[in-house]
Amino acid sequence: MKTLLLTELRLFRREPGPAFWGMVFPVALLIVLGSTVGNKPDVSLGGVGFITVFTPVMTVFSLGLLSLSSLPSTLAGYRDKGYLRRLSTTPVGAWRMLAAQLIIVACLAAAVIVVITLVSHFAFGGDLAQNFGGWLLTIVLLMSAMLSFGLLIASLAPTGKIANVAGSMSFFVLMFFAGLWVPQAAMGSTLRTIAHYTPLGAGVPAIQNAAAGLWPGTNHLLVLVGYTIVLALLAGRFFRWE
Amino acid sequence: MSDEVVQIDKLQVRYGDTVAVQDVSLSIRRGEIFGILGPNGAGKTTTVECVAGLRSPSSGRIAVLGEVGLDRNRLREQVGIQLQSSGLPDKLHVAEAMELFASFYPNPRDPDELLTRLGLEEKRDSRFAKLSGGQRQRLSIALALIGQPQLAILDELTTGLDPAARRETWKVISDIRDQGVTVLLVTHFMEEAEYLCDRVAVFHRGRVIGLDSPGSLAAGAGQKLSFRPKTPLDPAELRGLAGVSNVSAPDGRIEVDGGGDLIASVMEALVSRGVVPLETRVEQSTLDDAFVRMTADEDAAAN
Repeated sequence: MKTLLLTELRLFRREPGPAFWGMVFPVALLIVLGSTVGNKPDVSLGGVGFITVFTPVMTVFSLGLLSLSSLPSTLAGYRDKGYLRRLSTTPVGAWRMLAAQLIIVACLAAAVIVVITLVSHFAFGGDLAQNFGGWLLTIVLLMSAMLSFGLLIASLAPTGKIANVAGSMSFFVLMFFAGLWVPQAAMGSTLRTIAHYTPLGAGVPAIQNAAAGLWPGTNHLLVLVGYTIVLALLAGRFFRWE
Repeated sequence: MSDEVVQIDKLQVRYGDTVAVQDVSLSIRRGEIFGILGPNGAGKTTTVECVAGLRSPSSGRIAVLGEVGLDRNRLREQVGIQLQSSGLPDKLHVAEAMELFASFYPNPRDPDELLTRLGLEEKRDSRFAKLSGGQRQRLSIALALIGQPQLAILDELTTGLDPAARRETWKVISDIRDQGVTVLLVTHFMEEAEYLCDRVAVFHRGRVIGLDSPGSLAAGAGQKLSFRPKTPLDPAELRGLAGVSNVSAPDGRIEVDGGGDLIASVMEALVSRGVVPLETRVEQSTLDDAFVRMTADEDAAAN
């Protein structure tokens, strides 16, 4: 399993796309915008600063991209090539490959989340997960929901390329609701309500609340739990090894 | 340990209404190269997939290494498989693939030694996507052997290889057998079966229609003896001799078809009549002839 993880990590490093967009870009964007816009309280953002609103968006960016774009295209590609089937004839089986992919995405996303949170706090005065338990719970639920989403895409897409396209489209839609282009505070109330029922759109205010020392919000957490259950069941129902 | 590595008894596999394997029984002995030969759609791959535990039989019994329903983990450790069209990640290097697969098995072979044996040592640091068809095929064989299997299943080993690469691959397979690995080879190349296999099962429409050494199968399809008699000879005199099935006399030559004692009995008849045969030719039928005849017989019987 260790060799499998290391090998998959090496292969991830050889893909410049996901490594850049999933890991370098969100941190770079936070630094650029943090240095130019700063964190002065702003009425249009609900009375808090830009960094306070933007940090949770960048927190979910990497997780979203790696789960929706990288994970499904890798798995569907491996299935398409017959690699999963080849693995299922060895003592490790194809299950361990699936596990290795999930572990890698979860660990890489976790690393980016930590970096984003620390940079936001120490460089730009963002909140540092003051309700740490609530913050951690939110992150864990976000991961389970997004990894299930990625697995579902991998289950349904016939090839790696289609998985990549479907995953990237889902990513942009979900990031829109998360507030990447228009912060949730600036959305109309109907749009914001819809956003709160999407996985990343529920995750962002939950992180923002927990970072400020509040409870993440039971509704937001329930939305994430709901997505995890439904998406994981669907992925389990439709997943094919060959 | 049992001398039969694989025993298949009345195997049948159905997909919905289609019957891929009708009725297959055969056994594979330790240390032999056993070929499964047949046209596309004859049920060859389905049969080996059942042996490998990748597919469940609809009915019948398969014992691998002396155990029916061998525990999946033991099966995966003891049986190395080279599947039709199974790729690796494009950017995985040859040496990394070997190291990775070696890590799957409790007692793997030395990856470097195996790469050298398969002539891939110079490709150690090449990506899978950059390998030629023959190199991929050899890597696939190497990965099938890395776990020191007792049985290696190789499916359409040399399809898509150029003749030189094919010969090279055959050499590798003989070497493997010489090291004591039992090989189950699926192929539709007669030449390959003739060259490599100790015994061959001929598959046709999901059944075994012949099982023997390639030589015996070919001999079963008979011989053709032809010559020009120095002094005139009535062809009818050769009819009815042991081993003779047909005699014809095109433009001054005499052609005798048959098998078994054909040559001995014809030569004896010629000597006793004082007829000297000139330009004598004996054509041994090949496995190919045997195969064509066997499948044609089957088709005729079916219609």
